[in-house]
Amino acid sequence: MILRNVAIRHGRSALAAPLRRSFLRSMTTDTLTHETDALDHSVHNHLKETHSIEGNINQLNLTQSFVPPSNAREPSDSIKTDYASQQRLNKRTGKLGATVEKGYVPDALVRNPPKPADVTLELLMASQSHLGHSTSLWNPANQRYIFGIRQGIHIISLEETAAHLRRAAKVVEGVAYHGGLILFVGTRAGQGPAIVKAARLSKGCHLFEKWIPGSITNGDQILAKCDVKVVDKDDVEITSGFEDKVANWKALKPDLVVCVNPLENYIMLHECGLNNIPTIGVIDTDADPTWVTYPIPANDDSLRCIQVIAGVLGRAGQEGQKRRLEAAKTETAEDKKDAANSLRRVAPIAGETAPEQLRGKSSGQELDDIDDEL
Amino acid sequence: MKVSWLPATLKETRQCASAPRSISFSRQRGVNIRPRNFTTSTKLRAGIAAAEFDFEGQDGEGGKRPPFYARLLPCSPSYFTAQPLFTDNLLAVQTLLERYGNLPTVKPGEAPRVVWRPLADYRDSVGEVVQASKYSKILQVLHRLNHIHPSLMPEPVKDALNEYKRDINPFRNVVKVAPIDKMGRTLGAGRRKASTARAWLVEGTGEVLVNGKSLVDAFGRVHDRESAIWALKATDRVDKYNVWALVMGGGTTGQAEALTLAVGKALMAHEPALKPALRRAGCVTRDPRRVERKKPGHDKARKMPAWVKR
Repeated sequence: MILRNVAIRHGRSALAAPLRRSFLRSMTTDTLTHETDALDHSVHNHLKETHSIEGNINQLNLTQSFVPPSNAREPSDSIKTDYASQQRLNKRTGKLGATVEKGYVPDALVRNPPKPADVTLELLMASQSHLGHSTSLWNPANQRYIFGIRQGIHIISLEETAAHLRRAAKVVEGVAYHGGLILFVGTRAGQGPAIVKAARLSKGCHLFEKWIPGSITNGDQILAKCDVKVVDKDDVEITSGFEDKVANWKALKPDLVVCVNPLENYIMLHECGLNNIPTIGVIDTDADPTWVTYPIPANDDSLRCIQVIAGVLGRAGQEGQKRRLEAAKTETAEDKKDAANSLRRVAPIAGETAPEQLRGKSSGQELDDIDDEL
Repeated sequence: MKVSWLPATLKETRQCASAPRSISFSRQRGVNIRPRNFTTSTKLRAGIAAAEFDFEGQDGEGGKRPPFYARLLPCSPSYFTAQPLFTDNLLAVQTLLERYGNLPTVKPGEAPRVVWRPLADYRDSVGEVVQASKYSKILQVLHRLNHIHPSLMPEPVKDALNEYKRDINPFRNVVKVAPIDKMGRTLGAGRRKASTARAWLVEGTGEVLVNGKSLVDAFGRVHDRESAIWALKATDRVDKYNVWALVMGGGTTGQAEALTLAVGKALMAHEPALKPALRRAGCVTRDPRRVERKKPGHDKARKMPAWVKR
């Protein structure tokens, strides 16, 4: 630093600032004897000087009796008692007073989905299943599902929707009754809860995030780590006797796929087609109905509509599973003999072929086919 | 992704390829599927979908029951997500939130501080490749569950939270405060380079003794003198404490700066609230730099011998 500028640079602040105690101290004690030393230091060590200024800013009173402020309060017990009394009050007085009309509960359709028998045109209309897309976006293959045009958008015929939905419900029920594996797919935002509920009802599988391409055509690679189990006719897991077969089995494939947004899942539907897996899909006016085996013409952009459709199909699957378990309970001796016979015949090749072998039929012709292949 | 643009020949080829295969496969299924019809007509659009079910030809619908065999099923309904354990975990915590989301909560800052298990730990436990964004979905739900009022926290939620908590909660680590002995002294230790310093601080008038010598005698450089009591200077307490220090090892700079840390720590024992100010002044953090070792082939740590041509 240039010495002749020191007075200009620091003179003002030196005059303005009150004389620091530490500075006085340094003059009175013997530790820093010479005043010139102190001056020399402050001139030569500009960096330290700025630190000293910071030290001044930091000037604090003695803080020995200081108690840091604490955010953490002891959890008071009053919340618990208040909550309990509120619950009690609600329980006692909740039904008093005026009768409140049934309002719209957003997740009512997910919690308690309608059965196939509950499907009415009113329900479908209330859930906006009739609203299609702009007429310019339409796929002409959907012409037969379209009721008309209103305000520039296509209106889907509710009768068609109801009929196709009932047919799809029958299909789901039939597959569940025959012990098939049903996969529900809805990969758009918000479709998850309805899909999961439907899968739970029909004891199937769900997929509410991206379909991993190749999960069917290349399942042995992609689903290799996902565990499988063997269940008997009453859906009770069989823990012994199938270990080597479970270890050698190839990845499972669904027997029926329900897709509520086919537009985003072309690859999955294509894989299903390649593997001869029938599909059910919600076909809006801009979708291609030939992508799926069983189209349900409806509005795939409305979550309420999706909740109704997935719920109905889930209930249908539930009914099919129930019927199957009931039928299994009343299994006849003849059935048992058939099953045992078939298992004995099928078991040797089970390791190297698809898992569907296990639930193969007992008809003689099919068995002959297998023998031919062997 | 549309297929209609494919040339007619290709579409036909695909149909030809797929139709006979579905017959010859004759995989035994629970339900019959009618084989796709073989067709040579060039339709405008070739469907990709499989053929419909044929329940009529099946046992069961018409009087006879379906066959009852052992079946192979996925262990988890999330089988086709390829991350069944993660998806099940996510659904489990979401179900908890759905069920207990109406309970009273504490204010945003007042929930007990929790450190969740890191992603790598979680990946190891489930054995699946879970992306960070997906794991954060679980953490988001857990964070909300953690805000349920502690006096009303249901047992299932407690269990779920414990499952995702780290084994060690770093927020329970309390910094040990050095004690003030009965004579009013505090001891602080500091290190820098090869030097070690211990400093005893007592309330006084600003006298400093380093290894029994005054500051001027102990350190020739003014800069070192200032460094030694920098903690007191930066907080303007030079005249409020007496320092008695022992320094060992290293050179003068190292000894002086080791004293900075030692005095700073001893001062913090007297006045814990000074910690932020001392940290800003650089009296808290140990400087970890050491002399770099000499390497073989080098003259010094990094210097290479001069390269001479032949």
